[in-house]
Amino acid sequence: MKVTLRTDVLTNNNRAAEFNRDLFQTTKTLVINLMSSPGAGKTTLLEETVRVLSGKYRIAVIEGDLATEKDADRIRAMGAKAVQINTHGGCHLDARMVAAALGEFDFEEIDILFIENVGNLVCPSGYDLGQNHKVAVLSVPEGNDKIPKYPQMFMRTELVLLNKIDLLPYLDFSVEEARQDLMEINPESTLIPVSARTREGLHEWFFWIEGAYAKCVQQ
Amino acid sequence: MHEMSLMGDIIQLVQEDAAVNGLGKIEKIELIVGDIANAMPDALKMAFDIFRDQNPHIFSETAELVIHLEEAKAKCVLCDSEYRPEQKIALCPSCNIPSGKVLAGETFQVLSYEGSNR
Ligand SMILES: Nc1nc2c(ncn2[C@@H]2O[C@H](COP(=O)(O)OP(=O)(O)OP(=O)(O)O)[C@@H](O)[C@H]2O)c(=O)[nH]1
Ligand SMILES: [Mg+2]
Ligand SMILES: [Zn+2]
Repeated sequence: MKVTLRTDVLTNNNRAAEFNRDLFQTTKTLVINLMSSPGAGKTTLLEETVRVLSGKYRIAVIEGDLATEKDADRIRAMGAKAVQINTHGGCHLDARMVAAALGEFDFEEIDILFIENVGNLVCPSGYDLGQNHKVAVLSVPEGNDKIPKYPQMFMRTELVLLNKIDLLPYLDFSVEEARQDLMEINPESTLIPVSARTREGLHEWFFWIEGAYAKCVQQ
Repeated sequence: MHEMSLMGDIIQLVQEDAAVNGLGKIEKIELIVGDIANAMPDALKMAFDIFRDQNPHIFSETAELVIHLEEAKAKCVLCDSEYRPEQKIALCPSCNIPSGKVLAGETFQVLSYEGSNR
């Protein structure tokens, strides 16, 4: 017997994402899903973000990682609550993993939750976690070709943090070319050049977060 | 890539539905996979073969996976022309302006399955 389903393969993920989204909405928590290739600087950016913004917001972090507890420890050292999800080799976080970690938090006591996804420029972009915003991090040493090579990441994110701009003098990366490529893939996305090392440009990222938070609590 | 875990999701969806319909072994699964859906057809087929060979209680020995490809398609909001988006997804080839919106190619669905009557 043949049965027609026409069911989205990610149905179960999307259900869990809706569950997460409901919780985030009712507790007015701003949730940002941060994605990049390995080593682009997600954890370093979060360390700086926690350091600067934790006077103003109560921040928590979920760290997605293949195996270790290292990134969560780095966030804890900055004074924010961090929970590690080990994917045991899995190349992305899915909404069920996030849902399973939510019990570790009291969302009445949290204003902003950052989710650092597993370092990977392909797989994480396809999974809705229930976040308010998907943000990509691209770093200067990765080269200009990454935006056109991985268009699906950049079409599914609304902000790109171009990190490690302190290295621009030593490499042949063109910020203008990156902007142009991004616009041709996703004209609604924005590129903010930053350095988590020298802190150049980070105020713009913080400004973006404040805007997103204001919008989130109004709803 | 994560085609093994995607195939796990697919088989779970099919198995749950087959149980509701009182069907026995799975004989065929048909998918629709878009060009820009983040899933690679060849890797899906490999994952399917592995699952089938490891789970003779779920699949008949000759069970097959059929993949229908959905071509990516975008339409320019300025000139209304349709084009097949390559890397620069939003760039309309006639206007040379990023004015295109994706119409198709992101689908990733279980279209149907076949199961034996018990
Ligand atoms: N020069 C320079 N180095 C940076 C910058 N930001 C991060 N790094 C360095 O890049 C390396 C990787 O940074 P992480 O923050 O661990 O990167 P990540 O994206 O969290 O990596 P994974 O979690 O493994 O995917 C570290 O050695 C950082 O010190 C920057 O703005 N400039
Ligand atoms: Mg990290
Ligand atoms: Zn046009």
